[in-house]
Amino acid sequence: MSLTLEYKKSKRTGCFPMFAVGGAAAAAFPVLNMAFRSDMYVSLQDSMLQTSVPQNSMLQNSSVRILLEANWQMMAMVNILLAVLGACLLYHAEYADNAMQKMRTLPVKAGRMFTGKFAWIIIMYFITLTVEAAGIMFCIYRWFQFGGEAAAELLQSFGYSLLLALPAISASLLIASLCRNVWISLGIGVVCVFTATMLPTSHFALSLFPFAMPFQILPGTTKTTVYHFMLAAVLETTALSATELIILKIRRLFE
Amino acid sequence: MSFISLLGIEFKKIRRSKILWILLTAAVILWIPSILNAEMNFQMQAEGISPEHNFLIQGLLGMSWFMFPASMVVATVLLNQTEHTNKGLLKMLALPLDTTRLCLAKFVVLLSLSAAQIFMTVGVYYVSAAIATRTQNYDFLLPPLFVFHKVGLLFASAIPMLSFFWLLSVCVASPAFSVGIGLFSIVPSVLAINTKLWFAYPMAYPLFVITSEYGKLASNMETAPVRLFPWIPTAIVLTASCLLISCLFFGQGERK
Repeated sequence: MSLTLEYKKSKRTGCFPMFAVGGAAAAAFPVLNMAFRSDMYVSLQDSMLQTSVPQNSMLQNSSVRILLEANWQMMAMVNILLAVLGACLLYHAEYADNAMQKMRTLPVKAGRMFTGKFAWIIIMYFITLTVEAAGIMFCIYRWFQFGGEAAAELLQSFGYSLLLALPAISASLLIASLCRNVWISLGIGVVCVFTATMLPTSHFALSLFPFAMPFQILPGTTKTTVYHFMLAAVLETTALSATELIILKIRRLFE
Repeated sequence: MSFISLLGIEFKKIRRSKILWILLTAAVILWIPSILNAEMNFQMQAEGISPEHNFLIQGLLGMSWFMFPASMVVATVLLNQTEHTNKGLLKMLALPLDTTRLCLAKFVVLLSLSAAQIFMTVGVYYVSAAIATRTQNYDFLLPPLFVFHKVGLLFASAIPMLSFFWLLSVCVASPAFSVGIGLFSIVPSVLAINTKLWFAYPMAYPLFVITSEYGKLASNMETAPVRLFPWIPTAIVLTASCLLISCLFFGQGERK
């Protein structure tokens, strides 16, 4: 019940088209990049084939790696901004006309709202990633060789991106659920994204910051690092969701 | 009602919004890596830039590429949402006021918020430069006139961008798209400054100007110089048309 209810509410915020259009715009980065500088990237593949690929690293197909390394920073930036904005808008719909108070009078668990919104943002984020994967796939098909191997690697790569986005999504939902005013939650979210861009990528502990994790890419990363990141993503998401549920319980005592 | 008193009212409206705290937090986070990595400034001497100039310019680059534009998008959300909660704008439109003036007063508030953030950045810059001076035993402090010249350029070049953000927040009714387009338009500015058509993209102006200042200070580095000719006329036309359209459409949604 809560999922359909949350869907109906989120439909009116315009979030679904926003995530789709955002994904299409982000997918335009690799396509435009290849359209203007295809020679540079295609020659990069030849040089990568000549040098031996480091042992133990994930995904050997070089075209996916070249495209993601060249464009993922910007695409991830768009994705994470979409997640922050989406979370803010979903909660803004509740706070704007005091709908939150009405929701509290219903015989529904308070945590359900969080999980419902979380589920819908994941679905919308999935749409964004699908559109972006289609853009990358078009680039591989047009400028590199497209085969079953590339498709499988692309699928793994975007699955990994979806998993690593969960901490950022839960963190932005947590912030949005705590702030009554949308500009405060959006402001905190933007400051967090900005902090993530300032963190050095070489430092493992710092790249575990929830908003910095979506910037990671799968190709070229060693297997152990990938497992660490996946484990961290699951743990952080659980911890952040648990924090939200605890805060809901505590806040009730003070309101 | 005179423009000045309208402005006073607009400032009163955002007095308890806590926006200044958010702007300040962003400014503080901007300079923390600079303090921690202060010794890296000495390695940049190969580019022909002195460490103290590098310290300032690296911070300003970080500011102009994402932090400053994104904070300003948040500021437009604030200006927009304070009016929409409890139908504040309807009440304002019921008063015998000139809506054009009201719209411009709000834009001036946006400009003031951007100036406030720039001042905060300068303040935090001096604190962090003083800390770096002590940790590195090297004088990182630059004369205030020099610093204000650079941030003044940043502020002036940001005005067309701010007018575009203001246009979005007035004319696009759905916040998903007005804020979404604003935040999204910031991301490709890194690409835009490397193209010949950068002057047609207002979101890239601050980054372009600061990058160009970087090139001036670093003798061994080539960056595209600021050419005033196609830029200034384009910027003026863009700013004027953005402001004109937003004044025309201000409050249209509420008047129906």
